[in-house]
Amino acid sequence: MSQEGHIHPISSLIREANQIFFDMGFTFGEGPLLEDEWHNFDALNVPKDHPARDMQDTFFIKDEPGMVLRTHTSNVQIRYMESQVKAGILPPYRVIVPGKVFRNEATDMTHEAEFFQMEGLVVGEDVTLAHLKGTLEQFFSKLFKGASVEVRFRPSFFPFTEPSVEVDMRLVGESVPEKLRDRWIEMMGAGMIHPNVIKNAGLDPAKYQGFAFGMGLDRLALLRWGIDDVRHMHSADLRFINQF
Amino acid sequence: MKVSYNWLNNFVDGKLPPVAGVADALTFHAFEIDGIEQVGSDSVLDVKVTANRGHDCLSHRGIAKELSAILKLPLNPKVDPFAQPVDLSKKTSAVTVTIDDPTLCKRYVAGYIKGVKIGPSPEWLKQSLEAIGQRSINNVVDATNLVMFNIGQPLHAFDANRLGGLAIGVRAARAGEKLEALDKKVYELNSSLLVITAGDRPVGIAGIKGGEADRIDESTTDIVLESATFDGVTIRKGSQHLKLRTDASSRFEQQLSPELCPIAMQQVVTLITTIAGGEVDGFVDVYPAPQAPMYASVTVEKVNSVLGTNLTGADIADVFTRLGFGYKEQDGVFEVQVPPERLDITIAEDLVEEVGRIVGYDKVPAVPLPPVTTKPAINKNFAAAEAARAELTGQGYSEVFTSVFADKGERVVLNKVDGVRPYLRDSLVPGLTDALAKNKPNKDLLGLNEVKLFEIGVVWKGGSEVTMLGTVTDKQPAAEKPLEPAAVEQYADLPISTTERYQPFSRQPYIVRDIALWVPSNANPDDIAHSIKLEAGELCTKVALFDRFDKEGKKSLAFRLIFQSFDRTLTESEANAAMDKVAAALKAQGFEIR
Repeated sequence: MSQEGHIHPISSLIREANQIFFDMGFTFGEGPLLEDEWHNFDALNVPKDHPARDMQDTFFIKDEPGMVLRTHTSNVQIRYMESQVKAGILPPYRVIVPGKVFRNEATDMTHEAEFFQMEGLVVGEDVTLAHLKGTLEQFFSKLFKGASVEVRFRPSFFPFTEPSVEVDMRLVGESVPEKLRDRWIEMMGAGMIHPNVIKNAGLDPAKYQGFAFGMGLDRLALLRWGIDDVRHMHSADLRFINQF
Repeated sequence: MKVSYNWLNNFVDGKLPPVAGVADALTFHAFEIDGIEQVGSDSVLDVKVTANRGHDCLSHRGIAKELSAILKLPLNPKVDPFAQPVDLSKKTSAVTVTIDDPTLCKRYVAGYIKGVKIGPSPEWLKQSLEAIGQRSINNVVDATNLVMFNIGQPLHAFDANRLGGLAIGVRAARAGEKLEALDKKVYELNSSLLVITAGDRPVGIAGIKGGEADRIDESTTDIVLESATFDGVTIRKGSQHLKLRTDASSRFEQQLSPELCPIAMQQVVTLITTIAGGEVDGFVDVYPAPQAPMYASVTVEKVNSVLGTNLTGADIADVFTRLGFGYKEQDGVFEVQVPPERLDITIAEDLVEEVGRIVGYDKVPAVPLPPVTTKPAINKNFAAAEAARAELTGQGYSEVFTSVFADKGERVVLNKVDGVRPYLRDSLVPGLTDALAKNKPNKDLLGLNEVKLFEIGVVWKGGSEVTMLGTVTDKQPAAEKPLEPAAVEQYADLPISTTERYQPFSRQPYIVRDIALWVPSNANPDDIAHSIKLEAGELCTKVALFDRFDKEGKKSLAFRLIFQSFDRTLTESEANAAMDKVAAALKAQGFEIR
């Protein structure tokens, strides 16, 4: 009898996202999970003593002041741009960063202390918020094959984007599972990269602008497959994993 | 923040749409709404004010101003305290105010009223506060709270006679100083906290809570009112240190404009003298470094180049007018004077956001990125991980993710909220070993001959962060090696999951039964499995063929049945009864049970 193994649903989602974004010209970026506060906060326009630092419950490391478990994949915005600038490569940049992130909070059916996020970053001379909408519509239409996808923005606040938006998605069409059909679903935070972030990465904000987004992959997997408990993701339970 | 619909409605010239319309207007143009609650004849919205708008929107006036801009409903100038005349010109010689460090207290306005009559608040005031979950205390205290919830400026009232001398000071607390606050708890102060003093005696923790000794009660006749601006970081740290977060501290920590102080003072004095009587003796206003007018500029081109829209100068001018921003336009350049309470607006992008959200993000079209001419770079680490996944799944391994938190390791988390497993793992081995043990009992349920697991994950060892590839099986103990980058120029075309929907699984114990039978060589095993499933009933969750061989023109098939319930532990006799039924049915079909 065949005994083929299974990849984790998050790996499948990352593989699929990479296939879709690769075709749209995005490279696959990465960065450290244990990060310094400059890349996780300061460079992203979140200064010390700013209330925005309280928005994220951060794990700090004993005897290593200034080091944190990254609270988002946005640290790689800075790292990616820095490395390109250092290599003498100027924008356009298009990069996705799927990876693990951390929040120091109690876990329940919808919250985990470690989970997966996917950052998107596009920088150029004429990148607009309209491109963000177009890019996400394209991504979701390919991910939810056959569905017609609508994307809408609501105002929000993140220190590293200006303007900042929350992104909702709606799937329309017969092929969409009933639980998802015709409902607006909150998908991610996004926005136009704050000029301070562009500057902190070593680029000229008068010349370059762009968008960034950060979506929860666990949540996307929950929606995509109707998974009832986010804790399955780190359960290492094959009763879960072998369904994918 | 709790916001009363009736309170908002009173602000606008005209009438707000029904509460659902107000919630929609805020959702799509300003803030998320966490809920709407009916309180008597009022509706209370829970508005999630974003961290950049604590300067102005932790107030009914701030939210009303937003709605005014969004819905094009002007604020009623007779109601808007920002449109009212402010006259604090009557000076008092009885009160003095000294600020030690004006960077920590940018402004202090004191008002002295004599001969007030403390009593219950009028019904409208009680209702206004109770609607948003506040308790009515007395007319003077309620008046200060009302003004705070109205325009966002926290205020405090002291009993002037209890203060003794009216030499008010603002200074850092001294180590060892203690203060009993209005919550009747005694707080130990230190030099990072600011205190309000009367003749050097602490009478309040600045911006956080007033002192019990100088409280307002029925015996109060003369009051000193405080309308001041304290430094946000100081208040935030102080409030964290004392573990005391109040409606006042949560506003101050967002940093308020000192320009709010006289407006709030005017409003509270007018209200108190109306509902509690008294004579205004006069005011003191210490404001060493007045806030400079705030300007920002943006061009029509910039707005459109960020938003990807085709807005005109007139569209943009309309937004600024609705928001109450002063502006001058010349050749597509807007010089904007920002209202003093809008400390969030400093750069062109901030103005772009104002335009975007007020016209509505539905006006932003969806535009695909232009196609790229060069192929994106290949990530060799990801390619290596993908190659490992392909190889290992081909060999029957399934992929797990285990926690990075462990019982041991080189690094330890300082502040783990649940306290357990505080180390960062230095190996995948313990996690994989645990995962194997957890999955082993489910082998039959999973239809596996052997449990085989792999993990690609980060560990911290030898002082650095390394990605490892680890494996474990029933037969091979867990082992790991660093994942080396793949020397490839493109990604392999690998399959993605074709699963449509996840099926919840039972966590109850299961029972395994096997049955083997002789069947004619042309019999179809799938049909037989199907009929076994039918006979075994709904407690049988799985029937799998696990062995077959041919002998002398006959075929032997062996099936494994799994019995499991979603909500209880099954008994052996339940499984036996089902198996008897299966055996009987198979015999009746002419098969020989082995």
